[in-house]
Amino acid sequence: MTDQNLPELPDFDTMTPADFERYLPDFFGSGNGRVSTDPRLQKFLKENPDCAALVRDLEAIADHARSLFEPTHDPSDLVWSNIQSRMDAEGGMIKPDTETE
Amino acid sequence: MSTQGLQMTQTKPNSGLFKRNPPIAGEAEAIEAAKNGDPEAFSKLYSLHKRRVYTLCLRMLGNVSEAEDMTQEAFLHLFRKLGSFRGESAFSTWLHRLTVNLVLMHLRKKGLNLVSLEETINPSEDDAPKRDFGSSDPILTGSVDRVALERAVASLPPGYRMVFVLHDVEGYEHNEIATMLECSTGNSKSQLHKARLKLRELLRQTGQTPQQAGLKEAAV
Repeated sequence: MTDQNLPELPDFDTMTPADFERYLPDFFGSGNGRVSTDPRLQKFLKENPDCAALVRDLEAIADHARSLFEPTHDPSDLVWSNIQSRMDAEGGMIKPDTETE
Repeated sequence: MSTQGLQMTQTKPNSGLFKRNPPIAGEAEAIEAAKNGDPEAFSKLYSLHKRRVYTLCLRMLGNVSEAEDMTQEAFLHLFRKLGSFRGESAFSTWLHRLTVNLVLMHLRKKGLNLVSLEETINPSEDDAPKRDFGSSDPILTGSVDRVALERAVASLPPGYRMVFVLHDVEGYEHNEIATMLECSTGNSKSQLHKARLKLRELLRQTGQTPQQAGLKEAAV
């Protein structure tokens, strides 16, 4: 798996499910990240339905992960109280900082 | 595993677009006023971004108490550094990056050495995803319930969770993650893959059927 000793690409015609598993992180990490639509893998996935099922699951997880991007949780009111206290303790004034972004 | 019922978005997972936030009305004025020491303006910036910052901390840390502490630290850091914001990137992007860096620093201080992901934050054998990809799985097709996914992410080992959140949730590319975590891109890819395998396993353990998952999602 992303092993530096692995050749860049496996032989797609002779690839075994074990080979597929080893290369899968790289398949996902290259191109557009969608293994299920990679034309090089269509024949293999058709012949290995369990591998295809794994790919579908992992792609579904990745897709649904984006739904977690939307912020849904609020901090407690105590957080702002603490921030205010600390700001007051630091002088209450924002000191211009000239460091670069 | 059934091939029926997949309901997944077909967009590229890491386009980077979804991590950018559009400008928020009144934000630019609040930033300038806050730079000049207006406490009300800083309060407005907090109100505009607290949810985003806190949710990010919560996802990365998986712990409410630590997430609140880091939210506090992020805004205090913002308070001190706001003068250095010159608008070369979106404010939300800048604040987001600031928060990510603070959380990573926090984890390093806690002794979570992110330099070598494989060696230092690889989970134990018990936590590692099982190598049963060849088994036929009737469960995970179709929709994944958001709440179940959220819980599963929170229960991931820290190293897996970090890379998964940064890549799949926040939209960072592997090369960006590698820079942030001071590891190789191959390491980032490997950790992400293991994280997804572990999530698959955890979601299967929740016993969702496609029908149940679909009903749950429809009810949200």
